[in-house]
Amino acid sequence: MKNKTLAGILAACLTFGALAGCSAAGNGSQSDAPSQTAGAAGSNGGEPAAGNEDAILIGTIQDLSGGASEAGTANAWGVEYAVRVINEQGGVNGRPLEVIAMDCKNDVQEGVNCYRLLVDEKNVAAIVGPPLSNPALAWVDLSTEDEMPIVGHFMDERCTTNENTGEPYPYMFLAEPGCAQQSYSIAAYALEKLGIKTVGTFYNAGLSYAVMHAEPFADYITKNGGQVLAEESFQTGDVDYRAQAVKLAQANPDAVFICNYAADNALCYDYLREAGYQGIVLGNNTFQAPFNTLVKTKVYDTYFLQNVDMENPDDPSYAIVQKYMEETGVKYPIANACFGYDATMVLAEALKAVDDPYDGPAVAAALVEVKDAPGAAGPITINPKTHRTLGMPMLIAEYDENFSVKIIDAYTLSEEWDQ
Amino acid sequence: MSLQLIVNGISLGAVYALIAVGFALVFSILKFSNFAHGGMISAAAYIAYFFYASFETPPSLWVTLLFTAAVSLGVALLLDTLCYRRIRKNNSPNIYYFVGSITFAILIEQILTVFFGKTSYGFPGMFEVASVRLLGASFAMMDLVVLAVSIAMLAVLMLLINRTRIGLAIRAVAINPRASRLMGINSGFIVLFTFALAGFLAGVSGTLLGIKYSVYPALGSSMMVKGFIASVIGGLGSLSGAIIAAILLGVIEMVSVYFLGSSVTPAILFGIMLVFLFLRPQGISGKFAQDKV
Repeated sequence: MKNKTLAGILAACLTFGALAGCSAAGNGSQSDAPSQTAGAAGSNGGEPAAGNEDAILIGTIQDLSGGASEAGTANAWGVEYAVRVINEQGGVNGRPLEVIAMDCKNDVQEGVNCYRLLVDEKNVAAIVGPPLSNPALAWVDLSTEDEMPIVGHFMDERCTTNENTGEPYPYMFLAEPGCAQQSYSIAAYALEKLGIKTVGTFYNAGLSYAVMHAEPFADYITKNGGQVLAEESFQTGDVDYRAQAVKLAQANPDAVFICNYAADNALCYDYLREAGYQGIVLGNNTFQAPFNTLVKTKVYDTYFLQNVDMENPDDPSYAIVQKYMEETGVKYPIANACFGYDATMVLAEALKAVDDPYDGPAVAAALVEVKDAPGAAGPITINPKTHRTLGMPMLIAEYDENFSVKIIDAYTLSEEWDQ
Repeated sequence: MSLQLIVNGISLGAVYALIAVGFALVFSILKFSNFAHGGMISAAAYIAYFFYASFETPPSLWVTLLFTAAVSLGVALLLDTLCYRRIRKNNSPNIYYFVGSITFAILIEQILTVFFGKTSYGFPGMFEVASVRLLGASFAMMDLVVLAVSIAMLAVLMLLINRTRIGLAIRAVAINPRASRLMGINSGFIVLFTFALAGFLAGVSGTLLGIKYSVYPALGSSMMVKGFIASVIGGLGSLSGAIIAAILLGVIEMVSVYFLGSSVTPAILFGIMLVFLFLRPQGISGKFAQDKV
């Protein structure tokens, strides 16, 4: 009797597990707002079934659950909002856009499952990718085989160009400056405007995003007359980095560059200050909220990157971020809402330029030619040599006395470094 | 350098000790490693955060600690009722406890992820001065508080276990539950009391960790590994061994990261655990609880 009960429980668990697996791969975030439009989308060769048959179906793969869900959810909302805006303005050449949102859960294999479902079952015209680079790296070869255009915010340059040859991958596109471009910007600002001579770096060696910031930063500094005194790192899953902070404080460089996700940045900052470091702190573009809600020591002499001036009511990104906060109940501004918006706007520009939006090679060729796409804060142009943005300024920010982000400068890289 | 590293290491070890002791307490009585303790710590961090944030004038650290520990005590008893009591009643093998504790650890983390995973939570700075300088080294105020609270909690716990009647009963049940029952000890109550104590410790650990780091669903599980290593090195089921091992672990980790880097350090810590398992499975304390899982 006990064995039968146990067998019954196991069978129920397996059935539930199988159903849950299908749900994760098949429907992903269908309970989230972006997927509501997907309810009307069919799986019959890219022609939506129950909704508007003329609609162009696109997919978006985001980290809607798991450790990166804060950024992923905002990104997915940005995609959905951009689709709303595009459709309100008449759609793409008169055809509305529909979007299917999938949850890759910050997991490479889940990302591949989502991709296969969107490409093989849903037959989408193109995909808007996640802000995280690890899932996107797994799609590089797949997108070439399937001729599937992907536009995203995977800032690791290896997602868009072959690191050995420097050639761009034909179907991978980035709608914001890459890690290196951003790191060069803050390094150049530090050397030219802050008069920095010596630096240190403090980053998560297990996170490609962080590594791809730290190494180019050090490279730019050394090639432009500066000196790197210390490069301290920790691993994903570590919680205490005080030993590294002590070493950095002892090296006492003019500035320390911290370039991780927000929670790690807050810890690094606290540990550095607690270790007695009183120099300048330079940061990547995740020094915005929630960094200021997590950090516990006084923030001073800290300069960091921003993509958009989202706390300035005069900036176009402000309205998007406010809308995001209003619709989702999130209490602080997150730039990722703009990232999803930007990627979708870039994709829409390419879709407008082709006769058949389901013709992958034609859409990819149009993406290469995108100029001045209407981004959240300014026009976006794709560099044909790298498939990343060209001439897009990075903003330099600090925290004001109310602990709000204040943009103090904008920095556009020289052509030599804007790669 | 050395003084700062050692004090930082002791402070880190004190946090590990709180976790390892919660682990060791349950192991000593029920002879299984309660991995759900990590989930409890994460849940406690959220309880502490929302309690603290619910007041216009935030309560003191001590009030937050006490409230969270009391609620966690209740959660631990609930966990025992939902998960372990039936296993105990049926005299099921230890593997059932193990599976149950892993299941609940994952379940708690997933529930926290679903409801709170989309937002980052962090306590504000609680001290006007973040760090103080002593003997040429800089010490974070929070580290000193964590160290003081941990030492105080562990001292009270050791007094309770070694100097009170209920502590005697806990030790008796840990050594031989059947003989204890024959001697008139209500072993069911002792098991419940032990879970409550472990829950209380999870509440204190969760609050301190949440304040020291930030509040996220995997907070407890990320610290559990170190707590587990400490409890193995200390001698599974031994409270004093767990405390000594945890402090040593904290100092070794801090020094190793400083001199060898963060990529090598986990291998060193796991290597130490393996050496103990091979050469001295009873751990530092020399006491060995049987039926390890």
